[in-house]
Amino acid sequence: MSKTAPEPSTPSSQAGPVQEKSPTRAPRPPRPNYKHIHRFPLPLSVHPVPPVIPHNPLSIISVVLSYLTFLVSPPRQEVYSAYFDSATSSVHVTDEKAIRALWERGFFGKGSLSRSQPSWLEREKKRRGLLGGNTSEEVTRKRRSERRELKLERARMEKLAIEERLKTEAAARESGAVSDDQSAPTTPANGTANGAATTTEKFSLKKAKEARLQESRNLAQTDNSAVPADSSLKPTNGKTVRFSPVVQETKFPSDSTVALQSPEAIVAGDDADDEPALQNEEHLQLSNEEAFFLVYALGVLRVYDPEQNTVIPTSSLFPLLRHHSFYPPRATSSELQPDDPFMISYAVYHHFRSLGWVVRSGVKFGTDYLLYNRGPVFSHAEFAIAVIPSYEHPYWKDTEERREYAASKQARSWWWLHCVNRVQAQVLKSLVLCYVEVPPPAGFSDDIGAALGRYRIREFLIRRWVPNRSRD
Amino acid sequence: MADADEDAIRAPSNNPAQIETDLSDETQDFRLLSHLNFLSDPSSGSLPRRGEKDFEPNPTEFQADVLSASRQAMHNALAYPRIHNPKNQIVGIYAPEGPTPPPQVIGESLKTVDEQQKSTESAPPAQSKPESIKPDGKGVGVSPETCVYVPTPKGQYFKTMGQADRWNRVWLLPEEALYLLERGSLDIRWPSSLIGSDSNSESGVSTDEPSIPMSLQAAYACFIGRAGLTLERFSVYTGLRRLGYMLIRAPGWHDSIEQSETAPATSGTQKTATQPPSAQRGPGLAGIFGRVFQWIHDPMSTASTTAGPVAGLGIHRNYADVYRKLALIPWYDPVTAPEPHLDDTTPPFRIVFHVYKPSTTFKKTAPPPPDFRIAVLSTRDQTSFPTLSQLGALLESTPLDPPRGDKMDRLLYMRLRHGYRHVILAVVDQGVVSYLRVADSAFGKEKLYEAKNGPSGTKRNRFSHGSKRR
Repeated sequence: MSKTAPEPSTPSSQAGPVQEKSPTRAPRPPRPNYKHIHRFPLPLSVHPVPPVIPHNPLSIISVVLSYLTFLVSPPRQEVYSAYFDSATSSVHVTDEKAIRALWERGFFGKGSLSRSQPSWLEREKKRRGLLGGNTSEEVTRKRRSERRELKLERARMEKLAIEERLKTEAAARESGAVSDDQSAPTTPANGTANGAATTTEKFSLKKAKEARLQESRNLAQTDNSAVPADSSLKPTNGKTVRFSPVVQETKFPSDSTVALQSPEAIVAGDDADDEPALQNEEHLQLSNEEAFFLVYALGVLRVYDPEQNTVIPTSSLFPLLRHHSFYPPRATSSELQPDDPFMISYAVYHHFRSLGWVVRSGVKFGTDYLLYNRGPVFSHAEFAIAVIPSYEHPYWKDTEERREYAASKQARSWWWLHCVNRVQAQVLKSLVLCYVEVPPPAGFSDDIGAALGRYRIREFLIRRWVPNRSRD
Repeated sequence: MADADEDAIRAPSNNPAQIETDLSDETQDFRLLSHLNFLSDPSSGSLPRRGEKDFEPNPTEFQADVLSASRQAMHNALAYPRIHNPKNQIVGIYAPEGPTPPPQVIGESLKTVDEQQKSTESAPPAQSKPESIKPDGKGVGVSPETCVYVPTPKGQYFKTMGQADRWNRVWLLPEEALYLLERGSLDIRWPSSLIGSDSNSESGVSTDEPSIPMSLQAAYACFIGRAGLTLERFSVYTGLRRLGYMLIRAPGWHDSIEQSETAPATSGTQKTATQPPSAQRGPGLAGIFGRVFQWIHDPMSTASTTAGPVAGLGIHRNYADVYRKLALIPWYDPVTAPEPHLDDTTPPFRIVFHVYKPSTTFKKTAPPPPDFRIAVLSTRDQTSFPTLSQLGALLESTPLDPPRGDKMDRLLYMRLRHGYRHVILAVVDQGVVSYLRVADSAFGKEKLYEAKNGPSGTKRNRFSHGSKRR
């Protein structure tokens, strides 16, 4: 506690803010059972063989039985459908079941109207009062608004502290006209160091929170025991009274949403009887890499051409996506280059997916990909991947022209590196520079696997090294 | 004294709370300088804790006072009398021609043999590098790149720097001399040969005690650019040295390295990549059995990498098999990487300094394996981040240091962050040094799908630690 903090220091505030925090906080709604929802890492179904137990002959029979049933009626792997939208150069999934499956098993795609998980319908229902509970967007918004309010509170308290200090300084100046050395805040230059270090301590968010709790408690007291409590408070601590209108003001918005919602909810509830089907306006948007992975690697997706309404075979989807990795998309007749952006990014995407990581776009942190362990609902991404093409093959060093081209493609400035590195440090991710060795151009070949096998990946982990910290 | 701050730094701080504050990212609070107790009591080695920042000016007198107090403290600290006791004064003499034997001792070298043997016990000639063993024509027995000698060495500095010759003189490399001069611990004199030949010829006394001291400007002019010492390298050297680290030159110091005798066939031109495991099944009985087993295990496999699906359309028994089938893209394996060759590296991307932590017991004669290896880059010469071949060769020139230990075995992220080889790039942008640790973290060696347990800790727990992850 700083000496100068003008927070209302009633004895109860010293009693321990930790214990008092829990009752005031609204109980968190139970989280969905993510472990169960996302128990499958890929949108493929697996049928494990029943275990063989040597001393139990029944187990062998069950194994044989399972083989027989698979032979008689092989389980069908669900194949979902999507369509390629050439205008946005992305793949859209509109089927409800497919959206669910692709999101829940492997976290593919992003809701077109949501931050990541397609939750628009749920939010909309919630907004219309059809559904209880919170979607992740709402939780985030609430958390952000709370944080914002706390920051405002902190700023307000700082301002109050400054005013308070100005007042005491003015008072000190008046009295100090008589005796200069008595002025309390102006300590001699040499002596301040220790004192100042403690007094300059600002209001942390935690403190602001405590103060807010204190306020709300005081308010509750005044509400409960109306006038007498108020009058009893006034003489003991004048400041609380000054705080209260502001607190009511800041509390109002959060209350108001609830208040505003309830009449609308009733209306929406009435509407629901009239038109029960609330149309889902949202679709799942797959990046080209995700779509191609689902088609080519897993075979659980069919991509349709929306104009002809025909399935695009993998052999023509591959060049299509490669042509569309440029903007504007290149003509389908133009020759494919081994270093087009899709090839390089897909090689990286496939590499990390095949190792079991959940790979999602890292555009919000200025990188190419983020690697999640199991999925974004379980843990924060630990690694941020920045992809750099690398032209190491002698082919790229043959002519001056190629050398210049390669140099222009693989050069990354130090500014870029430091910027990306600092951002990753701020969001507690480890930066991984992922070099992809680009092979020389090869003739036309249908073999996608062979084409991908010609790329080679090497990861470097970059971290700021702080000599002060590494000394031991 | 000037040495005391270094001592304070070297002493391990036992307060864990202090470690948490990142000292490098904060602005200096100079008021704490006047409270640093080493001025009065050099034995206690704890650093004070800083206050919080003011983010904007406000009209309070309090803030103004704090500011002026801070300024005053800085002035006080700067005005603190720095006394150079003549007893502790170390005088060095500049030798522009490199190490030479003292002229007056040549005749009486026999007499000094005993003395030299005695001195070898306390300060034997340092041969940190194999090249330095190679005697130059003058037979002094120190590195030919040294250019300042101290006739009467004393004090703590020569425990970690300098090389003694047969006449008990300590020869200093240019960066060592400049560092000592800059921090006021050494007084470098011009040699008599440069002052004027008349004083040299008159008496032998003048060679012992030339009287014109070298200015800092002159020292910079003489030493920077000498024997590969660039300003960038010197800023890294002096910066880390002041923080308490020990630095010695690494074999990659010189841009021109004589080609090693190894046959070019075994050099790093060949590329090794781990093949996808499916390609490794050989013919023979084992192969047939394997195929039969594979059929039993996965009877309707239609896996095809040509047009997909790679995972196949049949029945999948478990996800690990699916993932194994997906492994198509070759990746670099640092363990099977070719043997390191110094001549594969290109000049700026070479290890220039071996760095030792202050806690490492360091012996000049037998330097232990370094704690860190540093390559120094200038952003003005090398305007872009190194390419794969440059960075790869640099990393391959460092020894393999795979993640080991209990903690590493348990923690996947730590293993990946540690990497198999690592090097530190000191990126010097016009005097501003930023250090980057680059590690070869083979993600391909960590099959995440085989990991039993998920990520450690829940999302909520981590968030409550005050991190800003989203």
